[in-house]
Amino acid sequence: MNKSTSFLAISVFALALALPRAGAAPTEMKAGKPELKAANQLAFGPDGILFVADTKSAAIFAIDTGDTKRGAEAATVKAEAVNQKIAALAGTSADQIVIEDLAVNPISRNAYLAVSRGKGPDAIPLLVRVKTDGQPELVTLDNVKFSRADLPNPVAGPQNQRVEAITDLAYSDGRVFIAGLSNEEFASTLRSVAFPFTTVDRGTSVEIYHGAHGAFETRSPVRTFVPYKVGNESQLLAAYTCTPLVQFALDDLKPGAKVMGKTIAEFGAGNRPLDMIVYQKDGKDYLLLANNRHGILKVAADQISGAAAITKQVAGTQGVKFEKIDWAGVTQLDRMDDRYAVVVRSGAANAFNLETLALP
Amino acid sequence: VIVRADPPPFLAKGRTAVRNGGKSFLILVVLAAALPVWAQPFTIHWRTESRPAAVEVEGFTPESLRALERTAGTSSAAEWQRMLAVFAQQEDATMAGAIAMPPMAGTWSVQRDRLRFEPRFPLAAGVRYRAEFVPAGGAPVVSYFQLPADNAPPSTRVVQVFPSAAKLPENQLKFYIQFSAPMSRRSVYEHVRLRQDGGDPIELPFLELDEELWDPAMTRLTLLIDPGRIKRGVKPQEDEGAVFEVGKSYTLTIGADCRDAAGRPLREAFEKKIQIVAADRVSPDPKRWKVVPPASGTRDGLVVDFDEPLDHALALRLLARGDGRRWKKASG
Repeated sequence: MNKSTSFLAISVFALALALPRAGAAPTEMKAGKPELKAANQLAFGPDGILFVADTKSAAIFAIDTGDTKRGAEAATVKAEAVNQKIAALAGTSADQIVIEDLAVNPISRNAYLAVSRGKGPDAIPLLVRVKTDGQPELVTLDNVKFSRADLPNPVAGPQNQRVEAITDLAYSDGRVFIAGLSNEEFASTLRSVAFPFTTVDRGTSVEIYHGAHGAFETRSPVRTFVPYKVGNESQLLAAYTCTPLVQFALDDLKPGAKVMGKTIAEFGAGNRPLDMIVYQKDGKDYLLLANNRHGILKVAADQISGAAAITKQVAGTQGVKFEKIDWAGVTQLDRMDDRYAVVVRSGAANAFNLETLALP
Repeated sequence: VIVRADPPPFLAKGRTAVRNGGKSFLILVVLAAALPVWAQPFTIHWRTESRPAAVEVEGFTPESLRALERTAGTSSAAEWQRMLAVFAQQEDATMAGAIAMPPMAGTWSVQRDRLRFEPRFPLAAGVRYRAEFVPAGGAPVVSYFQLPADNAPPSTRVVQVFPSAAKLPENQLKFYIQFSAPMSRRSVYEHVRLRQDGGDPIELPFLELDEELWDPAMTRLTLLIDPGRIKRGVKPQEDEGAVFEVGKSYTLTIGADCRDAAGRPLREAFEKKIQIVAADRVSPDPKRWKVVPPASGTRDGLVVDFDEPLDHALALRLLARGDGRRWKKASG
């Protein structure tokens, strides 16, 4: 068996390119109340549109926040003990508040949090906004403009025990990319759907597997990913829960195509990537990756585009060079602009703080 | 709990100040002082028997309520909160510091003889709530309420771990843990342990996902062995070793401290003994299955002998009846 082949072949199963059916008109956003059953992942699109991934509904909601007033250039957000403040707003104790995801509105610079009130099956989803005044507020969804895209689910009905957990969400060039992981089949899926939403076709999916091995053990769950451009080519950088950082070209992901992903870094065992952002500083692109075990890692993008694929067994971390950044306790990370990131990080006495940090 | 306070002038200062400016406010306060509008002291009542729960303030004169009513439709939450705010007290240490906590979200209304606040979310057991009514110029009226904490004894247990077989292949990837009642998430991995018999617990044997792979009812957890520690020749396996070794015995333990949806621990811990045999790299072959049809004229079951343990969830889901309906039951 070839050891540690780092080419990940990507074949026919999970990157549903979600080609719209011929003649399918984009879904207009209509005013009303989006019936969210859960709010798991967030991503901002154009014009203050917030995409909310709802694992329980197996759907992506596009919500018009109307939050399009440009924030002052120096505006930052900060909320100490944000989990306790949200608990206070929602009339419960902080141990019943789960912060699922963070997204910063690039126009207004306000931070949005997807939150669950409760930890059981009856948990209530909340959308929370933290403005530059630092006070969290509940975003009222009783009457907003929204549209919805349902993910294809192979099993429907009340008896269904299958769930596809949505692990990350991103918007790029008119498409929403969605990574998911089933609780039954061991297969990681990466889909895309055009926005404004079209009818989601099952399309073609792409399965990502380790070239040297066959069957289930080759499939690996995508934890977090970020689209970014090298020249005119759109790339997707994906961090896997148990394996490396992998790069592939979006244009290659055609229905039915077999695509080779390129492993560009190994971060070692027992590490979980949490979030990734891309930013530009002094004319150079950088990638910032938040991990549970290795903390924050910074990688220069020119290293990524010029990186050699790892094709043999490695010891320790290897691949592109990275720098460790001393931001302790980060559990959520998003980009505010090229100068700032917003994070949720653990503070004293079970508190989590929302903070704006200067990008390194 | 009802707390009484001295009768104050009748109009909330926030409302008047915002609507009419300082001058009018002064005039109104003077008027208020001249009229016997506080016929009785204000009292706060917790209406927790009905749904939704509510906090009500009584003691207004008809005139003052009508004044409130006139502005009720246009008042912002911040304006209402200056008059009546309800807080869910946070007990963590940070709270002892100087961080001000916001009041609860909800809606306010004027009803017959009272001012009513309905929290947007149901009240939670064990949380201490504080209502503050601030009459204009008067001392605040404060009242506390707490639903009793849930002290019921533990009742949830692990029903079964799938695969139910005791002998499993070295490359076993997945377990399903079936609980008797809905569970809560965000700490389950702390309570699931895998130990080689006679050894220490194996470090990080499972793929730990923030999402935790539960079914919609949250009674079944999917537990994945870290796939990087099953594959041969890949990094996690080289660093940490394979989770399972052929010929060795293991115990999978679900600790009693695992919490159910009500926050209660399990009735007891659960252990599953596992013996590891050679890796299974051959796909299931339905041609090898033995199908024993029920005897004619009976209601006996149809027996399918799979020849090897199958994935519990997929076997239940993917074996379909000819009429497209689901099986009532299938074995693990």
